[in-house]
Amino acid sequence: MNRVAPAQQPLPRTVIFLDPAHGGPDPGAHLPNNLLEKDLTLAFATRLRALLASSGFTMVSTRDADPTVSFTTDQRAEIANHGHSNACLVLHATSSGNGVHVITSSLTPPNELDGPHTTVPWNAAQSASIPQSLSLANEIGLSLQRAKIPVILSRSSLRPLDNLTCPAVAIEISPFTSPDGDRTPVTDATYQQNIAKAIAAALTSWRSRQIPVGAAK
Amino acid sequence: MIPRYQRILFWSLVAGILLMAAFLLHGCEQAHKRLATPNDPTPIAAPTSSSTEDVTLYLANDADASITPATESFALPQEPSARARALIEHLLSTYSLPASAHPLQGGAAVDDVFLLTDPQPAIGARPGQLAVINLRGSFLDNHPSGIQVETLTVQSIIGTLHAAFPQVTAIRFLVDGQPHDTLAGHADLLHTYPATDTTAKPIPPSGN
Ligand SMILES: [Zn+2]
Repeated sequence: MNRVAPAQQPLPRTVIFLDPAHGGPDPGAHLPNNLLEKDLTLAFATRLRALLASSGFTMVSTRDADPTVSFTTDQRAEIANHGHSNACLVLHATSSGNGVHVITSSLTPPNELDGPHTTVPWNAAQSASIPQSLSLANEIGLSLQRAKIPVILSRSSLRPLDNLTCPAVAIEISPFTSPDGDRTPVTDATYQQNIAKAIAAALTSWRSRQIPVGAAK
Repeated sequence: MIPRYQRILFWSLVAGILLMAAFLLHGCEQAHKRLATPNDPTPIAAPTSSSTEDVTLYLANDADASITPATESFALPQEPSARARALIEHLLSTYSLPASAHPLQGGAAVDDVFLLTDPQPAIGARPGQLAVINLRGSFLDNHPSGIQVETLTVQSIIGTLHAAFPQVTAIRFLVDGQPHDTLAGHADLLHTYPATDTTAKPIPPSGN
């Protein structure tokens, strides 16, 4: 794995929105060993934040602790949309499935014939970013695959994903069952770290592919 | 000349014989009815149709996040709402079988399905029916929590309903008669879903 320090030329400021899902009175899924999803997503976000910071990314996060009153999904989307994030990651964990599920909103891109001035409803705010979100999901998928972690790319109708105006994916960590039947739980620290590394590598590669803002049509 | 008392005795005995004969005949008839009942082909609680038919279930698989149509034969009521409810109930009950690739707990899951004329069809969409599926709170309480696992349940219901009711164009959910935010913390239940063929086989990420 290439661990070269960030290049010498100045990097464009790339803002990554991190949303460790659930929190406060919403525990999320009940995971093995009495662990709650809200605690795992927070721990995973901390790992990912450290890796992204060392790669020169700027982070906007919805929480860095377990608040007594957590943000609603609408409030989380407002934070992301006001922060003009370049990429948005919503973090989840589950005990179903295998490997990492990278989920893109099931909204469809707006019809070109409707014209650019059509107002986009809040529940479909993500629709204009779908092509970029799918490309981001693919980039993360490739990076996980390179790290020998099973990955499934799928679509879902999910808040706050549908309300985000940035290229956005939800990342759901599920247990890893190897071909010979060994099962690594989502609570495994090495497993989490490998996933975080793959995501950080994907975002670095994705950043380098983005057309500079001024050159966009 | 026959004495009067002998005539009275004779007619009394004849009357007794007739009475006993009538009583026996009645008893025989009763016994016959009782014995004949189990052979009666009329069902006790008659379903509208007792014959089985081919129905397509859109079955979810947690391991690869796929939805695959599979044809099964079973009996369904004819009345559309009862038919839709029995169909979804049957679909969800298959997930509680030991070999299920998308394990869910058993038990009643659906209270009602309402088939309504869609009052607000999407612009450009063909007019059709709106199906409102009223799920039981207990089904949600026992449903595993996760984006993929919840989405698969929703997509499995939508695909199965779409195949059996092509006139349904949109699907909404209620829980215990009320609008509800998510299935088990993730999949959006406030969304109006288009009724489509939900067959899915996620493709792996592609390099370029
Ligand atoms: Zn979650």
